[in-house]
Amino acid sequence: MNKVTTMQKAVAENIHDGNFVYIGGYICRTPFSAVHELIRQGKKDLTITRSNAADDFDMLIGAGVVKRFISTFISLGVYGLARCYRRSLEKGIPHIIEVEEYTNLSLPMMLMAGAMGMPFIPVKDLLGTDLMKIKGFLGESKYKLIDSPFDGKPVLIVPALNPDVGIIHVQQADENGNAQIWGIGGDCKYGANASKKVIVSCERIVSREMIGKDPSRTIVPDFKVVAVVEEPFASHPGYTPGFYDQDFGFGYLYKEASSTEEGFHAFLKEWVHDVPDRAAYIQHFIDRFGYAAYKKLQAKFDYGYPVSYEY
Amino acid sequence: MNEHPNDYIKPELMACCGAREIMDGDVVVVGTGFPTMSANIAKHTHAPRAVLLQESGVYDARPRRPALSVGDACLNPGAAMIGGLVDVMGMFLQGGWVDVGFLSGSQVDRFGNINTTCIGSYDQPKSRLPGSGGANPIGALAKRGLIIVQHDPRRLPARLDFITTPGYIDGPGAREKLNMPPETGPSIIVTNKAVLRFDPDTKEAFVASYHPGHTIDEIRRSTGWNIQVADDVHETEPPRVEELSALRNILDPHRMIKIYEGKGYV
Repeated sequence: MNKVTTMQKAVAENIHDGNFVYIGGYICRTPFSAVHELIRQGKKDLTITRSNAADDFDMLIGAGVVKRFISTFISLGVYGLARCYRRSLEKGIPHIIEVEEYTNLSLPMMLMAGAMGMPFIPVKDLLGTDLMKIKGFLGESKYKLIDSPFDGKPVLIVPALNPDVGIIHVQQADENGNAQIWGIGGDCKYGANASKKVIVSCERIVSREMIGKDPSRTIVPDFKVVAVVEEPFASHPGYTPGFYDQDFGFGYLYKEASSTEEGFHAFLKEWVHDVPDRAAYIQHFIDRFGYAAYKKLQAKFDYGYPVSYEY
Repeated sequence: MNEHPNDYIKPELMACCGAREIMDGDVVVVGTGFPTMSANIAKHTHAPRAVLLQESGVYDARPRRPALSVGDACLNPGAAMIGGLVDVMGMFLQGGWVDVGFLSGSQVDRFGNINTTCIGSYDQPKSRLPGSGGANPIGALAKRGLIIVQHDPRRLPARLDFITTPGYIDGPGAREKLNMPPETGPSIIVTNKAVLRFDPDTKEAFVASYHPGHTIDEIRRSTGWNIQVADDVHETEPPRVEELSALRNILDPHRMIKIYEGKGYV
């Protein structure tokens, strides 16, 4: 089944107010065009999650899209604390989001458990810290400290997560949704597979035959995928290995803009609301910063040795 | 006899203090900045077989520019292995393979517990910080935690506003009682004034050495608890010529490390 569609349709048809949404990425392959579309469509009351959140999550929080956030960490990287996140929790602007806090070990493990259909999973972190004392919207279901049924020693278990929708950006996918990545994975593979359905955006759509030339790169099989969107440059200002680099200058621009409420809304108007889609975003980027700035971000090519799967 | 050029800056000394804690063959989980510099100084001097992991999923990266985050694009080409968080944090860290983990925080207490969650109360924070990220599991599971922090009473308080990452928790026996893996926990705190180590009996951090230009009195005044001082306390060894040469000629030719002077590491 050909699932190729536009980001506008993929988001409108598959993500509903109040949904629990996994959003992949680790600066690497951030699905930013989908994030902008969530804001443009004025989605509300979403629960969002991923390990090591960054500018994309900050933007969703500032835009008022988020009700709940299952978090491990959020910052603007080299540009410091996440401004919208701070305004939400320190000043209630635009509203206070509810946060449930884990770590970059336990949350990926919870997504892995979800992907594998397990009810919960033991982890070896969190113990002895205030992350055990604070419980958010999951309440007593945040974790359980039990005696191991095997040796009687204390063991911490945390619940599996199964988001309603997973959104990931990948290098290439076929029209049915077989999605291939290379480079830093973060929790993308398990986050996507834990989700009940997956929206895939990709730098390029390739044939099923091309997918078959290196099938070990596929992280999500097509039967989990409901929409495929060909969306070059979709991770900007994050990066996609082999396609374009991280845009540190744009990161600085977002940091400066998001430092005030007014600046943040002006940023949203310019880069989200006033551009209808990713193609218009790229055009606006080139109009604003010049083609040379766009070209400079494009990756060099250094193809490896082709692999053979023949027998 | 080691040569010690005297034109170093404080962040370079701190990076060298971190480097000296890494042993040949260690598996090290690094973040950006100090950790990467320390680990690479060690690799270029006394620990050529030390290997580096980034929690984002990278093993043995070969970056051609300094990585500005653990997810930086420059970590991809040339790495020996790239997976994800479950691989590095699950299989390797939780699996017990990590010798050294670097940590930093807004507040560190006498037991090496770390706060990166909030200043003020959790429900009504004066300042909301990023949260644990990989710090909590690294503090819980690395065999030796290396903590880097600025030395003043606010950052080294008697009591943390929030314990994000476990050190020795509330003292001797605490980690064992929780069934945390044996032979793990923080081993050193490197500040801009001193090197602190942990007493094996009390699990409290004490002054092991003071950096050139600083005094025990000043360090006591800058610490939020009544800090103990080693009987054999001595001046920290300044950067050696080969350490500085690795740092300046190979790892950081543009001397980005100077950014840390601006952040107060002086």
